[in-house]
This record gives sequence, structure tokens and C-alpha cells, in this order.
Amino acid sequence: MRWSIAIRRVLSVVGFALLFLPVQVSAEETVCIQCHSGQEGRLKAPVEQWRNSVHAANGISCNDCHGGDPTDFTMAMSPDRGFVGVPEYDEVPEFCGHCHLGVKEDYLGSAHGKALESGGPQCVLCHGSHGIQLASIKLINKESCTRCHGYERAIKVKQAISSTEATLTSLEESVASLHRLGFDMKRMKENLFAQRNAFRQIFHTVELDKIKRQKVKFDKELAVIQGQVNTYEAEISQRKLVGGGVALLLLLGGGIALLIRRSYHKEE
Amino acid sequence: MKLQKDAMDWLDSRLGVRELLYNNLNGYLLPRNINIWYTLGAILMALLGLQFLTGILLLIFYVPDTEKAFASVTMIMNEVPYGWLIRYLHVVASNLIVAFLFLHMFSVLFMGSYKRPRELTWLSGFVLFNMGLVFCLTGYLLPWSQLSFWATTVATDAAGAIPVVGDFLVEFLRGGPSVGAATLGRFFALHVMALPMAFLGLLGFHLFCVRRVGISSAPFGDQYQPTELTRSFTHDEHLDGVPFHPNYTIKEISMVFFALAALVVITFFVPWLFIPPEALVPANPFVTPEHIKPEWYFLWTYQVLKIFPSKLLGLSAQAAVMGLMAILPFLDLGPERRPAKRPIFVTIYLLGIWV
Repeated sequence: MRWSIAIRRVLSVVGFALLFLPVQVSAEETVCIQCHSGQEGRLKAPVEQWRNSVHAANGISCNDCHGGDPTDFTMAMSPDRGFVGVPEYDEVPEFCGHCHLGVKEDYLGSAHGKALESGGPQCVLCHGSHGIQLASIKLINKESCTRCHGYERAIKVKQAISSTEATLTSLEESVASLHRLGFDMKRMKENLFAQRNAFRQIFHTVELDKIKRQKVKFDKELAVIQGQVNTYEAEISQRKLVGGGVALLLLLGGGIALLIRRSYHKEE
Repeated sequence: MKLQKDAMDWLDSRLGVRELLYNNLNGYLLPRNINIWYTLGAILMALLGLQFLTGILLLIFYVPDTEKAFASVTMIMNEVPYGWLIRYLHVVASNLIVAFLFLHMFSVLFMGSYKRPRELTWLSGFVLFNMGLVFCLTGYLLPWSQLSFWATTVATDAAGAIPVVGDFLVEFLRGGPSVGAATLGRFFALHVMALPMAFLGLLGFHLFCVRRVGISSAPFGDQYQPTELTRSFTHDEHLDGVPFHPNYTIKEISMVFFALAALVVITFFVPWLFIPPEALVPANPFVTPEHIKPEWYFLWTYQVLKIFPSKLLGLSAQAAVMGLMAILPFLDLGPERRPAKRPIFVTIYLLGIWV
């Protein structure tokens, strides 16, 4: 009898302990990633670079640029399934321009684009390829630009756009944070996205006067968005003030109730 | 004052209200060593009341339609006056309720309060705990977000591992081969009608058991001695105890205030705490989120499924654990409730929490 009780107890607690065992989870991947992960050298390198890229973060995978069938090992690299492989140097703007249409237009019209056939810069020279990161003003830097020409003009472009870029970045952070709090930011986010794309597009023209003229227009648009963001942020501050007050009152009420309880203790 | 007295006299002459109130409030004596863990029931009842209230308010604007559900929740959050507050209180309180349910269950386990003659109190409480989890599962789907859709897909998919009836069960739970309008319809009906009614009924039974058998003494201190049980029913009297009202109710009120303060702080300062980013994106059956993970209170089921080589084994292990927990008072028959005298149980109990 004593043994059976002991066994029952052990069974009960072992079962109970099972509740707390740890695990790991893995994400599903395309056949491109699965196959290239097992390769060596330059065939493997793009996988890790891509994993940390802005493309990966937004669900843009190998097949979105290189074509092919990401679900079929045997046909993954078949031209019949749209596989285009690695583009030639001067094909890169067309390659990236499948998605980045506006930027492609401005780039092709710029001094950079016009110099493409004679070995001028193209997208991946500044942005990189598989490990591509969210474009930022940091891409315009002395080290990068002086590979081909002087930095004097580039720094002027950078100075002209830096304040607008900073506003854009700050607004994007504010919008993301407001969205996280449950505010419906869809329209504002779309508007900001459109503004950012249009703004980034113009400085691919690398024409300083044009950039300065357009910047004024963008700054006005962004000021309107900033006004709306400020309204939301003021509301959040007000909410916190009220919430903090109510929480304090509740704590005070709880404290008073405990003091009353203590007075009963003395009577008991 | 006179009107109140007249009303009371009128009720008393017909229903004996004064005697009823005295027997259940001032005349109802609780053990002197009753501690803070005993207030969890009151906290849970207060939060449940709030859930009913906020749930009814949300129902006014929520539309249980796959095309409109997400938009209606967005509207509640952005256009309905104080809609954001009502929804956040509902979401945060649901998580706090699960946390307090866990604490309530763990404290009962630690103090051995589930033991005879309180088997039915434990069993009804354990079923209520599981119903609370089902409440959360069904409520999770209602906003029809990416998180709702995929968490429900994963949760209902698990039933498919059961041999023979697995596929039927999955289809029964979803109302079709995949999560869709039929799933939303049945989860909505469960969440706002079937579960609340069943929950209230069982809660009534749970409270009846608590009152009828009497509150158990905390198994601590020199005065506590395990009692041998008689075959016939006896109410656990505490003749030298303290009155339930006002001596203990005031303690419960203070704890309820503190719990509500925690609820308010989370609601106003970190409302996103229990809302992952995927919950802010409308459901899309064609895009699987990269990092889909169940709510914190379902992580243990998820973990158990992952450590076993097959889902069936994982589900069986869970069923075994839950089954054991449910019938624990029928297995653990010894009268000893002092944790210091139950080293095996307490060691594994603490190990479990630590792991």
C-alpha cells in the first residue's frame, strides 16, 4: 500500500514536470537555400549574406531575382521555370529594376547610368548584392565614391538630403512605434513609404540642383505627416498620465485596505 | 437609510436574507493562518467580471466575419470612443487571468489543498483552468490577424495526430479542411456564448464546493496538524477563526486593487506586451509568418510536441500529464499537506517550475 502510494506520487510529479521541458523551432526554406547551404565557397556564401539582408527580412527570396522554381530540386535552375542565373555587369540595373522601377529610370538618366556601358557604376557597386541592407545615407561615403571620382560633389548631395533623410527615418520609427501600440497607421505608412521612395529616387539622378528643388517639396509633405504623428504621440502621453493616476489610486486603495486589515489583526 | 432598512426587512421576512448574509459573511469563520495565496480566487473573480463587461462592450462593434473581423477590431481600436482601452483591458486581463489561474493552481498543489475531501473542488477548478485556456484559444482567432489564423491552424492541426479520428477532429474543430469562415463562426459562438455559460455554471459549483466543505487551513506553523478524515460529510469548521467579512474581505479587496493596478499599468504603458507584431497584420492564408509562436501559456504544449519524435506521442504525453493532474487527489491519498513532510512532491514541483 505504501509502495503504491509512493509510485502514484512519483508518477504524478514526473508527469507534472513534463510540462516544463524546452524545445527549438526551425523555419521552412526554399530548395535554393537548402541546396546552397550544403555547398562550399562562393556557392555557399550568398546564403548567409542573404539571411541577414533586407530582402530576406521582407520575404524576397532567391527566385524573386534569379527566377527558377524554389519548390522543386530538379527544376529549380531550369530556364523553363524562368531561371535567369547571374546577370552580366551591365544587365544589373535591369535585373534590380524589375522591382525598383522608379530608381532604375532616374539612375539610367544620370551620369552614373550613362556611363554604364563604359564600365560605370551600377546598383550592386554601392548597395551590394546578396547581403543588401536597407538603403541609407551612409551609402554615400568617401571610401565608396572615391573608387571612381572625387568626393566633392557627393558630399554636397549628402548634405542636401541629410536633414530630410533624418526626418524620414525618425518618422518611420514613430509610425512603426504607433502601429505597435494599435494605432491604424496604414495610410500614413503608405504615404511615408511613397515619399521615401520618391525621395530616394531623385538622388539617383545625382543632380544637386534638382535634388535641392525637390527636397523643399518633400520637407513640406513630411511636415504634414509629422503634425499627425505629434497628435498621436500627445494622445499617448495623455493616456499614460491618466493610466499612471488610476494605477496610483488603485495602489493607494490597496494600501488603505491593508492598513484596515492590520487594524482588524490587533482586534483579533 | 429607512428605505434600505424597509427593503431589507421585506426581503428578510420572505427569504431570511439576514441569516443568509450572517452565515456567509460575518458568521463564516476562516482559519487564522490563512495567507495571501487564498486571495487569488477573489482576484480571478474580479478579473473575470471585467472580462464579461469588456467582452460585452467589444461585442457591440466586433463583426465575426472573415472579411470584416480585422477591420472591425481596427475600428474598435481607432474610432470607437475608448475602444482601445476596452480591447486592451480585455486582452491584458485574459493573460493576467491565465497567470493567476496558474498561481492559484500551483499554490493549491504546494499546500496540498487538493486532497480529500476537496477532490471535487480541485477537479472543478482544474476543468475551469482548462476552460480558461480554451477561452483564450477561441478568443485568439477572433481578430482574424496573421497570428490568429496561423496559431489556430497550428493548434487545430495537432488534433490530426490522433489515430483514426484525427482527420475528423481537425475538420470538426475547423468546420472544414482549413481554418476559415466556419472556424471563425464556431470559435465566436464558443467564446461569447457556450464557454461563458459553461464557465459560470462550473464556477458556481466550484464556489459551492469551497463553501460547503470549508476553507482548508494553510499547512504551516506549529498549530497545523494533518486531520484524519471521517467517512461521513463534515464541514471544515474553524471555531477560533476570523470572520470572512470584514476581516478577510478587506484583504481580498486590497489584493484585487493591486491586481487591477498591474492590469492598468500594463494596459496604459506596455499594452503590446501580450500582442506580438503578427497580431497587427490581417490574416493571409497564403503567407506563413516566419516566427509564429503560441502564446506564453501554450508554450508548454508546443514544447512537449517538439521533444517527442511524433505528434501522437507528444499529445499522448500531454494527455497523460493533464489526466494525472486531474485525478491527483484520487492518487495522492495521504493526509499529510505540510510541504516539508512531502519532499518528493515538493522537489519535483520546484524543479518543474525552475526548468
